Amino acid sequence: MVLETDPLPLSQWLSGALPTWLFVVGAVAFGWLLLGFLISTLKNGPGKAGDNIFRLLSGAVTDLAHISPRRVYALARLAVKESSRKRVFAGLGVYLVILAFAIWFLDPRTNDPVPLYLSFVLTATTYLILIMSLFLSAFSLPADIKSHTIYTIVTKPVRPSEIVLGRIIGFSVVCTAMLAVMGFFSYVFVVRGLSHTHELALSNLKAVKVTAEPGDGGEELTGFTEAAHGHRHEVVIGPDGTGRTDVAQGHWHEITSSGEGANRRFTIGEPQGQFHARVPTYGKLSFKDRAGQPTTKGINVGNEWTYRSYIDGGTRASATWKFEGLNEADYPDGLPLNMTIRVFRSHKGDIEKTVLGSYILRNPATGRTSEAANFNAKEYAIDEELVPLRLKDANGNPISLFGDLVANGELEVELFCLAPGQYFGMARPDMYLLPHEGSFVANLVKGYVSIWLEMLLITAFGVMWSTFLNGAVAMLATFATLVTGFYVLFLQQLGRDEVVGGGPTEAIFRLAGQTSITVELDETLTTGVIKGIDDVVRIGLRAASNLVPNFSEIAGTTYDPRAFNIPMGDAGFVADGFDIPPELLIQQMIATACFLVPIFLIGFLCLKMREVAQ
Amino acid sequence: MNQRPFVRKMIYLGLIAALLVPLSLLSMPARRGNSQEAGSKGGVLAQLRDKNRLSQANLGEIDPTSETIKLVTLGLRGIATFALENKATEYKLKEDWTKLKATLEQITKLQPNFPSVWENEAWNLSHNISAQFDDYHDRYYWHIEGARFLQDGIRHNETAPRLEWYLGWIISYKLGRADEHLQFRRLFREDTDFNGKRKIEDRDNWLVGREFHLAAEDMAARHEGRGVNNPLMFYYRAPMCRIDYAEALEEEGVLDEKAGAAWDVALRDWIEFGKRDLGTPDQSERMDDIPIVRQQIEDLYKQLGELPPGDVPNKLRAEKRAKLADKEIASLEKAPDSRTLDEVQLATMAEQKLALGADEVEKAVDREHRDEARKISTKVDDLKTRLTKLEATRDHVNYDYWKTRCEMERRPDTLEARRLTTQADHAYKVDNDLLAAQKLYDQAFAQWDAVLKEFPTLRRNTIVNEDMMVLIRKYRVLLDKLEIRELPKDFPLQDIITAHPTGQ
Repeated sequence: MVLETDPLPLSQWLSGALPTWLFVVGAVAFGWLLLGFLISTLKNGPGKAGDNIFRLLSGAVTDLAHISPRRVYALARLAVKESSRKRVFAGLGVYLVILAFAIWFLDPRTNDPVPLYLSFVLTATTYLILIMSLFLSAFSLPADIKSHTIYTIVTKPVRPSEIVLGRIIGFSVVCTAMLAVMGFFSYVFVVRGLSHTHELALSNLKAVKVTAEPGDGGEELTGFTEAAHGHRHEVVIGPDGTGRTDVAQGHWHEITSSGEGANRRFTIGEPQGQFHARVPTYGKLSFKDRAGQPTTKGINVGNEWTYRSYIDGGTRASATWKFEGLNEADYPDGLPLNMTIRVFRSHKGDIEKTVLGSYILRNPATGRTSEAANFNAKEYAIDEELVPLRLKDANGNPISLFGDLVANGELEVELFCLAPGQYFGMARPDMYLLPHEGSFVANLVKGYVSIWLEMLLITAFGVMWSTFLNGAVAMLATFATLVTGFYVLFLQQLGRDEVVGGGPTEAIFRLAGQTSITVELDETLTTGVIKGIDDVVRIGLRAASNLVPNFSEIAGTTYDPRAFNIPMGDAGFVADGFDIPPELLIQQMIATACFLVPIFLIGFLCLKMREVAQ
Repeated sequence: MNQRPFVRKMIYLGLIAALLVPLSLLSMPARRGNSQEAGSKGGVLAQLRDKNRLSQANLGEIDPTSETIKLVTLGLRGIATFALENKATEYKLKEDWTKLKATLEQITKLQPNFPSVWENEAWNLSHNISAQFDDYHDRYYWHIEGARFLQDGIRHNETAPRLEWYLGWIISYKLGRADEHLQFRRLFREDTDFNGKRKIEDRDNWLVGREFHLAAEDMAARHEGRGVNNPLMFYYRAPMCRIDYAEALEEEGVLDEKAGAAWDVALRDWIEFGKRDLGTPDQSERMDDIPIVRQQIEDLYKQLGELPPGDVPNKLRAEKRAKLADKEIASLEKAPDSRTLDEVQLATMAEQKLALGADEVEKAVDREHRDEARKISTKVDDLKTRLTKLEATRDHVNYDYWKTRCEMERRPDTLEARRLTTQADHAYKVDNDLLAAQKLYDQAFAQWDAVLKEFPTLRRNTIVNEDMMVLIRKYRVLLDKLEIRELPKDFPLQDIITAHPTGQ
């Protein structure tokens, strides 16, 4: 899995994100109050303006302190009933139609169908639920205000805070129910869509021991299955008539047989090992150059994407991962080492063979190393090596893995490329230990929890916008929030001037003059003014990127891990078969709460200030 | 009550109803008939579309998936395609091949009737993505994915022969000329999924690629040559596949009658290719016409020579030749395929200097015959232009070289020379029997000498010379190991060594 940015531990993230959040909230609150004071001053004078602001704030505090859970529950129930009346659950029908026709667009014959299917269902769910929550939340209050049914509610009496909170909760409950149903159907779709078996005829098999003809029993049979879903498997069937296939497209099958002689029939079971939720233990990566000296990173072999660095083959260049927190109890059978190494050949070499590499294990404290273990590099596939508990050191003496090589829970793994003129490429997540795997279903649920968090945010935004905008405008505003949420990282890059071609004003200037983005503009008064405008705009963009939740994917994205609005998308983890770290999910929940609280407050204050609520 | 609005509305409705009649005549869709009822040709537009083969159904299969995805983009197909292309670029950058392939499929579903889109995305799969993999099995897989992609594209674009041609290119050239072509050819033979019911002995990538090239030619013929931008390169691949097949057989050690037969068939197809008209309806262009055009030019010069005062062209040429430098004359007198690069340049300049212009011929002829002289000269100029074009076409595909090469390779003595060479290589590299290898090399060189004596143009050809020099260098290293420092004085291919730029 590609992890361009490593999520921070919870405590470290909180220490950076919380102050930023407080600053942003404080700045927004101050700006809002200042704006309100200025507008009120223009209307009524400064004295009255100050009085209005004070009464608003004190009223708001009273309001919030006296929120009734019973009334909130009643309003939430009302919101649920209203949603049912609007037949919002028809959206489930839309989702089922999408799934029904999805098979036209998804090819199970592709070389790795599991990530494709999982990405599809998670993405389709995300878009559908967010759009549905958008429509549900944005039109409700404006419709009530327009039809004057809001007066029936406010005269109950019901506080504005309860109205806003009730609607947010009510719509969230509806969307949560729909999300749960979608999740269930998604799981069924993926499992059913990838379910398949193969035909295996006796004529496809040959006996390995040549003393017997196929079908006589007592011999091992090998051969290939018929193709299904664009692949076939090599099979090995033991004398007892059972066996298994090799791994193709990330799965294998069990084989059973019945009958004897020429009537022998083979049954290939359902695919196994397709769905994973790996719980990796990552290490810290460091490099040595071809002279064996430490260096910050490896070589760039000319790739535009610099996620991976490369080490020279046949030299002292190496990549070392340092693992921490290793516990012998977690590895009763040995150390499962998984790696995904890239290969770059500067010459063809032996085409028939893959490039050879080796790794050693080292005690970080004593420097004692194991003997080198060789491996053939496998690209775009996970190479699973199991380091035994008892092995040999560099001199051939028997040693114990945890006794001699792991010191205080730390262990180093150093990797070499053995072929001169060839290169191995790696990034930190490309090697990890796999003490155990989590439950795929639980991981899928966690993926849906991240979608649920996004839905909560859109619902809250929709209700907030609708407290002071009419239905269509609130919908547009929520839609803009939604779209911006998917491009927050781009906004941040624009705000930090990391995008080639300059800021928005410069981009318009280049478009008008058909100037390429790679051409430096001449330093004239005009370009100076344009760049000055963009400098100001960038401040706004940086501010705006903190005001909108981040709906990007975590996997495969570069982001600031210290920011409080970290990406909410976890589909990459689920699709690639990696467990979503619980700490990451907690961070996302806290980030959601960081938005929900101020959104609720803004919505409540806006509704309070309207005539209908007074 | 004011009835004017009502009357106005009635008039408008009447006009709308009246307009429906011509609208219907123009845009009524065509309907296919069945056993129950006859079909309908539809309105004027439908008939025009059918006549000019512009409707989507004329282009190929209509895919419901494609139509659905186009519909749901609600007219924003261009924007959707742009967004998908950006996504594809990102996936390619981040090496996410599964999602890249899925995205390419979405792009083609949005634009199913643009052959260039299919071609471009097939290129992405079989060239760009395959090159990213280290294991040749994976590279082969992505080459075939590109081929399958094109097969899908062909179903949607039955009037685009370039897709079929490109499919043939991937199967023949991409597999057959790769560094790992031996491995690819083996995998292709074993690939039952792609080859289907094709017999194992017919699963040669060159021959199968040729089938696709021939299918492309059939498609082009059915559509009056539409979609063929470069006829030379389009029609050249099918006969070239035969030649490549014969070469591949010999590389794999097949040096018997099968190889001879393969070269035989290759020669036949190559000669047929030379007879093919690659020109336009107004001007034919056959490489085989070169001798005919040359003869026509000679005949016209004879006619000019008969005009008083007589023998004008030869006299004019003699005068011009007298003004040429010695080097230029020497280069002209040398055989074209034995000229060095400098000599080729000198000969070209000399020929330009010797060329007779219509004006100078006209002036040299008696006044009363000048009109006739001008007409003949003009015809000569036109024929020379045509000849230049034909020669360029021929040189572009190295027509003469491959024709002579096929004639040489199909002979039993050539096959014997190759067998001896292979045995010598085996004795040297595998058995490490240096003396036996030396003997076999000597026999091989003698045999090559005899063969190349029959084909002097090939003996002087740089490609053949380089192949011989590779052998000779290997032989030299072998002799060195036997502590023999010099080649034998009567070495049969000494002239090739002497003619080589390095001289060794």
